[in-house]
Amino acid sequence: MAEVGKIRIKLPQGIKKGEVIPVKALITHPMETGLRKDKAGKPIPAYYINDVKVYYGNDLVSSMEWTIAISADPFMTFYVKADKAAPLKIVYKDNKGGTFEDTVQINPQ
Amino acid sequence: MIKRALGGLIALLLIAGAISVITPQNSIAGEIQEYTPNISAEEYEKRYNEFYGDATKKMAEEGNPAEMLLDDGKALFQKVDGSKGKSCASCHGQNGEKLKGAATTYPKYNAGIKGIITLPVQINRCRENQMGAKPWKYDTPDIVAVELFVKSLSNGMPIKISIDGPAKPFYEAGKKMYYTRLGQWNWNCAICHIKYSGHKTRANILSTNRHHADHWPTYRMAWQSTGTIQRRIINDCIKNMRVDKLPEYESEDIRNLEFYLTYQANGLPIQVPGLRF
Repeated sequence: MAEVGKIRIKLPQGIKKGEVIPVKALITHPMETGLRKDKAGKPIPAYYINDVKVYYGNDLVSSMEWTIAISADPFMTFYVKADKAAPLKIVYKDNKGGTFEDTVQINPQ
Repeated sequence: MIKRALGGLIALLLIAGAISVITPQNSIAGEIQEYTPNISAEEYEKRYNEFYGDATKKMAEEGNPAEMLLDDGKALFQKVDGSKGKSCASCHGQNGEKLKGAATTYPKYNAGIKGIITLPVQINRCRENQMGAKPWKYDTPDIVAVELFVKSLSNGMPIKISIDGPAKPFYEAGKKMYYTRLGQWNWNCAICHIKYSGHKTRANILSTNRHHADHWPTYRMAWQSTGTIQRRIINDCIKNMRVDKLPEYESEDIRNLEFYLTYQANGLPIQVPGLRF
């Protein structure tokens, strides 16, 4: 795990207007549960993403509350109706106050 | 005091004795006694589908996290590295056009190293000899990404491994490794995957070895990352046999074993990136 908070968002190719498209997003994050111990026996502090919001244009289209049960490097797929040419923004927030965001442009034909 | 020291010494000796019992035992000398497969690959597939239903299919529809690593692999393939100012793409085509189908014959015999060469070893040899770059450490994200990209160029093409000629002794060595009992449990690969295939271990069905090598590098839920077949063999199978000293990545035994395993999948199409539990 090289860097925390590297986001990649993948859209299908050739999006048609009004089509429901799958959006795949991956973020590198250790997602430490706080329940593990390191080799010296000390607990590793919890470090995980607990809040995810997806914006399409100015609209909030999805809001997620994540817990320690989500795996490291969380990968998610969700569906969006591509009815306008607008940026899609995903904002991740973790319990240590880190905020990571990335934007892709949806241009339906 | 002396008594206690003596007692300690005896205890130590006892422990030493116990350890020597759990070191790898190469109990097979000479001829391999082959087992008869408990079930055929087709029968296993039938049982698998009955047991899991379409769970894996549904999982795959959601997408595979390894797809992102595939993109990384393509970027690394085109990235110039090393003293000679070259990238993989300088020789093999911008999008690896010249490597289409190349991965179907790996692992294979290589006269240069007088042994079986696997794809990661080949990648590192290219980096050292052609690009003047530092070789990557095996089973790290960078080399897995490039391996994944190169293999993906052969997606859908049948695996065609040749075990004729100089490769024959290495195939036999790999087979011997498959039948070599290891660790505290004193198991070999063949017990689970040939003799008792189709039986249950905990909540899983023991697989036959037909499909073991056609989908690597694979994203595994248990790892939460993408890894190679050798990580699966060393860090899961061999570790589960309770071997006290795990073999190294790309060591001779493991390369031969991968060669043997990939031959079992001969004729099956390459499907990368894989997705498994």
